[in-house]
Amino acid sequence: MDATFINVMKDAAGVPFYPVVFQGLYVLTWALHAAFVLLALGSMGLSIYGSTQQKSDPYWKILTPHLIMTGKISVSVLIVLGVAPLLFTQVIYDSGWYVANTLSGAWVFIFIYALVIGYMMYYWYQYANKKGSSGNTLIGIISFAILVFCGVLMHNFAVEAISPTKWMDWYAPNGVVDNAGWNMHLDLLRLGFMVSLMIPVTGIFMQNYSRFLSTREDFEPKYLEFVKNIGTKMAVIGLLISAALFAVWMLKENLLLHPLSLATVVSVVILLVLAMRNKNSYVTTGMLVIVALFISGIRELIRYNIMSGIGYDLYGYPMNLEWETIIMFLLTFVVLGFTGIAFILTMAWKVGKTKGVYTATEGSAVSRLANASLTLFILWIVVYFGWGMVALFKNTL
Amino acid sequence: MDLLGFYPLFYVPEIGSAWLMGITGAIHIMASHTSVGAALLFAFLAHKAQKENRTDLYDYMKRYGMFLLIFSYVIGSITGPGIWYTATAASPRGISALIHNFVWVWATEWVFFVYEVLGVFALIYFIDKVDRKTHLKLTYTFAIASVGTLALIIGIISFMMWPGTEAYYATGSASDAFFGTNTFPHMFLRIGFMIMMSGIIGMIISSAMRKENKELSEELTQKMGWVSLLGGFVTVFFFMWYIDTLPANAHALLGMAKDSIILNRIILAILFSIYFLIAIAKPQWVTRTLAITMMFIIGIVGVWPGEKLRETMRKPWVAGQYVYSNQIIGRDVPGKEIKDETPLLAEKGLLKLNPWIPDRLRTITPENKLEVGKLLTRIACSNCHSLEKEGLYRPLMPLAGPMGEDGIRDYMKNVIGTGSSPYMPTIALPDEEYDAMAAYIASQAK
Repeated sequence: MDATFINVMKDAAGVPFYPVVFQGLYVLTWALHAAFVLLALGSMGLSIYGSTQQKSDPYWKILTPHLIMTGKISVSVLIVLGVAPLLFTQVIYDSGWYVANTLSGAWVFIFIYALVIGYMMYYWYQYANKKGSSGNTLIGIISFAILVFCGVLMHNFAVEAISPTKWMDWYAPNGVVDNAGWNMHLDLLRLGFMVSLMIPVTGIFMQNYSRFLSTREDFEPKYLEFVKNIGTKMAVIGLLISAALFAVWMLKENLLLHPLSLATVVSVVILLVLAMRNKNSYVTTGMLVIVALFISGIRELIRYNIMSGIGYDLYGYPMNLEWETIIMFLLTFVVLGFTGIAFILTMAWKVGKTKGVYTATEGSAVSRLANASLTLFILWIVVYFGWGMVALFKNTL
Repeated sequence: MDLLGFYPLFYVPEIGSAWLMGITGAIHIMASHTSVGAALLFAFLAHKAQKENRTDLYDYMKRYGMFLLIFSYVIGSITGPGIWYTATAASPRGISALIHNFVWVWATEWVFFVYEVLGVFALIYFIDKVDRKTHLKLTYTFAIASVGTLALIIGIISFMMWPGTEAYYATGSASDAFFGTNTFPHMFLRIGFMIMMSGIIGMIISSAMRKENKELSEELTQKMGWVSLLGGFVTVFFFMWYIDTLPANAHALLGMAKDSIILNRIILAILFSIYFLIAIAKPQWVTRTLAITMMFIIGIVGVWPGEKLRETMRKPWVAGQYVYSNQIIGRDVPGKEIKDETPLLAEKGLLKLNPWIPDRLRTITPENKLEVGKLLTRIACSNCHSLEKEGLYRPLMPLAGPMGEDGIRDYMKNVIGTGSSPYMPTIALPDEEYDAMAAYIASQAK
C-alpha cells in the first residue's frame, strides 16, 4: 500500500468545491444522522420494556405507544439525514467508501432489504401494540434486532473504509481474488461506544418529553415526573457507561490526550451535570448537540490521520469549481430549507402544545411561515425551469 | 508506476451485480413514483375538500397516507439510497462520476427530502389537529417539494444516458450536464407515470373502503380511474418525445428489441385502458383483489422490463457517455481534464494498470493463464454478462462459445478492441491478455 495506490482512486472529475467544506458538512450531517439513529434505537428498546409493563402499569401504558411513535419517526428521519454524510464522504474519501462497498457488496444488498423488513416490522409492532395483540413484544424484539443488525453492517462499512492497509489482503487473501463481497470486519470497542450512546440520548429525550408536555392539562404531573425520573436515570447511567467506553477507545487510538478528545471529555462532564440537575432539558439538549459534533469530529480525525498517514492528499484533491450548482444548493438549503423546516417544526410545536385543533391565525408565526414556504417553493420551481430552458437553448440553438 | 483508478470487483454469479441494482431500482420506482403522484393527488383532494367542505375526503387522504408511509416512506425511502448503494458495489466509478459532477444537485435534493419526510408525517397526523387552511398550504408545499425531488434527480439519471449535447464535454459544467435534450421529456414522462401510479394505488385504498361507505368508495374509484387515465395518456405522449431524444447507441439497441417492446407496450396500454375505463364506468367491479393484482402487473410487466430496457439502451456507457459499463473511462472530457484511458490500456494492459491485481497474477504464465483469463474476463465483461453457461444476464458463454478460442481472440481484438460495436465498450488490450481471456472463455464454454 502506498500513496500512488490510494491517490489514484480519486475521481477523474475532481471535486467541485474546497475539500474542507465537504469535510465540515460531513461532520455536521453525520452528527445529525447519528442523533436520530441513537434516538430510534433507544426509544425502541425502551418501548419493548414498556410493552411488557403496560398491562399492569398505567404510566407505561401511556408512555409505550409514544416511545414507539418516536422510534418510528426517528427511523424515517435517520434514513433521510443519513443521505447527506453518505454523499459528502463519497466526494472526498471516495476510495474508502467504494472499496468498502465492493469488498462487502453482498452485505450492501442485504443491508437494504434487512432495513426494509426491520422497518416494516416496526410498523407491525406499532399496530400490534395498539391492538393489544399478545405477540407485540416479540415482533418488537425481532424488529429491533434487525435494525441493530443494520447498524452493525453500517459499522462494518465504516471500519473497512478506514482500513486501507488491509484492503488488498481482504480482497485477495494469499493472492487469490475473492469477488463475492462477503467481507465483514468489526471494531467492537468503537461499535460498543456508539451503541451505548442510545441510552443517554433517549434519557435526555425523555426529559424533553416531560418538560414539553408539562403545559398540557391532559397529562398528569405524576406521570410526567415518572417519565422525567426514568429519563434522568438513563441519561446519567448511560453517560457514565459511554464515557468509560470512550476513554478506552481513545486510549486504543492513541488520542486520549488530543485536544479534541479532551474537549469531548469536558463537554460530556458538563452534559452529565446538566442532565443530573435537569433544570432545563432544552439547554441539556443543546449541550448534547455539541457533544455529538465533537464525537463526529473525532471520527473524522481518526479517518483523516489514517488516510493522510499513508499519503492520501485530501486537500490536494484536484478541484473544478462549480458555482452554479453550489449557489443553487446554498440558496435552497439556507432560504427554502430553513423556512420550510421552520414552518413544519413550529406547526408541530403548536399542535403538540394544543389540546384539540390548533388554528394558525392570520399573522401568526405558523401562518407567515406557511405563506413564505409556499412562495419560496413556487419561486424555486420557476427558477428551475427558467434555468433549464436557458441552458438548453444556449446549447442547442 | 502507472496505475488507473479502478476499484475491487464485486461479482454476483448467474444474475450479475447489475441485476441486484435493477431489482432495487424497479421496487424503488414503484414506491417513489407513487409518492410524488400521491403528493399531487393530495393537493388536488385537499383543495377540493376545503372548497366543497368534504370532510370525507380527509378520511380517504388519511387512509391513503398511512399506506403511503409504508409503501413510499419505508420501501421507497430505503430503496432510494439502496439503488445508490448497490450501484456503488456494482459500478463504483460510474457512481463516482455522477457524485463528482452533481454533488450539489444531490445535496439540494436532500433538502427537499428532509422537507418531504417531515412533511408527510405532519400531513397525515395533523389532518385533525390543525386548521384546514394551514393544512392545505402544507399539502401544496408538500406536492411541490415532491415534484422538486423529481426535478433534481431527473437531470442526473438523464445524464447517465447521455449529456444531450456536446457542451458538457467542453465546459465540464454541471448545468450543461444536467439540462440535456433528454431531461425534460424524461421528466414529463415520469410525471405522467407518477400520476397514473397514484391512481392505481388510490383504487386499492378506495376499493378497501366499500364496506364502510359504498357511495364514497365508488366515487373515489371513479376519480382514480380518471386520474390514472390522464397519467397514462401523459406517459404515452411523452414516451414518444423521450425516445426521440435518445442517443444513437440507444437507438441501435432499441432497434434490436423494437418489435417485442412495441408489442409489450401496446398490450399494457390496452389492458390498463380497459381497467381504467371499468373504474370510471363500473367502479363497483373494481375489488381490492383486482386493484392489488393490477399494481403487481404494472410492476412486473411494465416497470421491470422498462428499467431493463433503459439500462440496456445506455450500453456501453454507465455515466455521461464517458465511463464505460466496465468502469474504464472511454473518452476525453476536456472541461474536467478527464483523459480517455483506452490508449494506455491498449499499450500496457489491465494487469499492469489495475491496482487490484495480485502480484502473482500480473505476469501471465502457462500455470496461471486460465486464472488470469478468468479475472480479466470478470473485470472486462461481467458488468453486462453472466459468465456462467446458464447465467440469466446476457450469458457470455453461449454467445462466445461457438467461435472457439481463436475466433474469440480475433473478435475481441478486431471488433471489441477497435470499438466497432455500437453497444460494446472499447476493450483494447495487449495480445497476451486477449489470449488469456480467450483461453478462459473457450474453456468455460465447452
